[in-house]
Amino acid sequence: MPMDKKKQVILSLRNISQSFVVKNEVKPAVEDVSLDVYDNEFLVVLGPGHCGKTVLMNVIAGIETPVEGKKYLKGEEIQGNDRRIGMVFQSLNLMPWRTVLGNVEFGLELAGVGKKERRAISQKYIDLVRLTGFEHAYPHELSGGMKQRVGIARAYTNNPEILIMDEPFGALDAQTRYAMEEEVLRIWKEEKRTVVFVTNNIEEAVFLADRIILLSNCPAKVKQVYDLSPLGRPRNLMDSDFLRLRTEISDNTDLAL
Amino acid sequence: MSKKHGLNLSKAEIMEHRLEILYRILPLISVLLLVGLWMIASRDFNADVGSGFPTPAAVWDRTVRLFTRPVKKMNLIMHALVSLRRIGLALAFDWTFGIIFGIIIGWFPKPRAFFTPMFDAFRAVPPLAWIPLITLWFGIGEFPKILIVIFGSLASIVVNVKAGLSAVDKMYLNVGTVFNATPMQTLIKIAIPSSLDAIFAGVRTSTSAAWMVVLAAEMLGADSGVGFLISRGMDSIDMPLVLTGMIAIGIVGAILAILTQFVERLICPWTRKSK
Repeated sequence: MPMDKKKQVILSLRNISQSFVVKNEVKPAVEDVSLDVYDNEFLVVLGPGHCGKTVLMNVIAGIETPVEGKKYLKGEEIQGNDRRIGMVFQSLNLMPWRTVLGNVEFGLELAGVGKKERRAISQKYIDLVRLTGFEHAYPHELSGGMKQRVGIARAYTNNPEILIMDEPFGALDAQTRYAMEEEVLRIWKEEKRTVVFVTNNIEEAVFLADRIILLSNCPAKVKQVYDLSPLGRPRNLMDSDFLRLRTEISDNTDLAL
Repeated sequence: MSKKHGLNLSKAEIMEHRLEILYRILPLISVLLLVGLWMIASRDFNADVGSGFPTPAAVWDRTVRLFTRPVKKMNLIMHALVSLRRIGLALAFDWTFGIIFGIIIGWFPKPRAFFTPMFDAFRAVPPLAWIPLITLWFGIGEFPKILIVIFGSLASIVVNVKAGLSAVDKMYLNVGTVFNATPMQTLIKIAIPSSLDAIFAGVRTSTSAAWMVVLAAEMLGADSGVGFLISRGMDSIDMPLVLTGMIAIGIVGAILAILTQFVERLICPWTRKSK
């Protein structure tokens, strides 16, 4: 089981607050969030509604600069974006003008990695997400689940230490979603990284997580942290412990209206 | 019920099949109707005094005569090629300077703020209004005509490129941020490719605009080109020649449109399905 050695903190957020502007009105999205992410854990950030979660992930990825608070990577304070943090986006953000291979090797291309090496690394991750044979397909030719696989491969290719997945399966139908949850666990086991996975789906959270950080509704604050290591893996959605924890979290979750 | 037809087609399928046939026939009917109307409109045609509307046969004869007895030693195709050469040179400038200028004012806010009023004033002036000044400055050679074509077609490419570059989707830019893109990489690897369809819309509209303007420029003072043929026909009350010129314009314009569309599909294969 995980964590034989002492848990090492890889990423810390301290007192992060962020707001956004709607119609000339400043609204708080994230309020005073502090959290630690452990090395190689599968952390799920669970929260209701639409505000807060993506903003918090954008802050971690450096897409947004928080109004207040600090972030530390391996004890060092970082600002803005960092090569060691990768992201799988909610809305896929695949580039329609690039093929699967072109999308997957995009980060390496920007980093100036030579063509041969780029191809080899990209191919490894295309194989890992089981898209072998689709290298030269364009995103519009792929199904929703396949597009997400491209997104995951693209994030993996730059070899980040932390992989943020922002509600990656929100737009998928239930069947594909279950399949992709299993896939994400398989990929994570084969290529261990620290994963910060965002979702508003409690079942998905309990199925995937080593730990769950439950956020409150707008503005997002840390409401409770759950340790799921007693559940073990693989998990069964019908297991009594699974259902008990699922109900417990459900009762504790704010209603998003 | 559907077995009556011998095939196992549902009613909906039969309807769809009939519709497909209709869709193929309709364009044909349209062309036949046009020729029919033309024949009716031209029944009072008198070639000797040039009164009435020329008949299709007269136009055909005139077209053939244009090859046997060329005007200014040039047959119809040579005149068309002269016009095409003029727009070709003008478009070469449009597609280099115009695209670069469009990218600059679309992507960088300061040049946009500075150049937009100047550019808006320039494009509000119809290109033909420049003819007196340009003729006065540069005479009546090839260069002034090409300049008029540039003035008439540059705006459409700049406007389209600018629109594309100033509306790059944030989600693509976020990918660049996460991968540490430099500002130059963001422009070259994200902003410009994501605007390629807008750039191609500019290529298409500038091509058709150039073709319109070159004919107008030729009608006002040239001794070659399809526009010249039309004004020559007007001056010598040779209406079949005017019609020949008009039809040539239509055909060349259509070929240009198909050609640019073909090139777009070649360069941007991903737009094929998303449209």
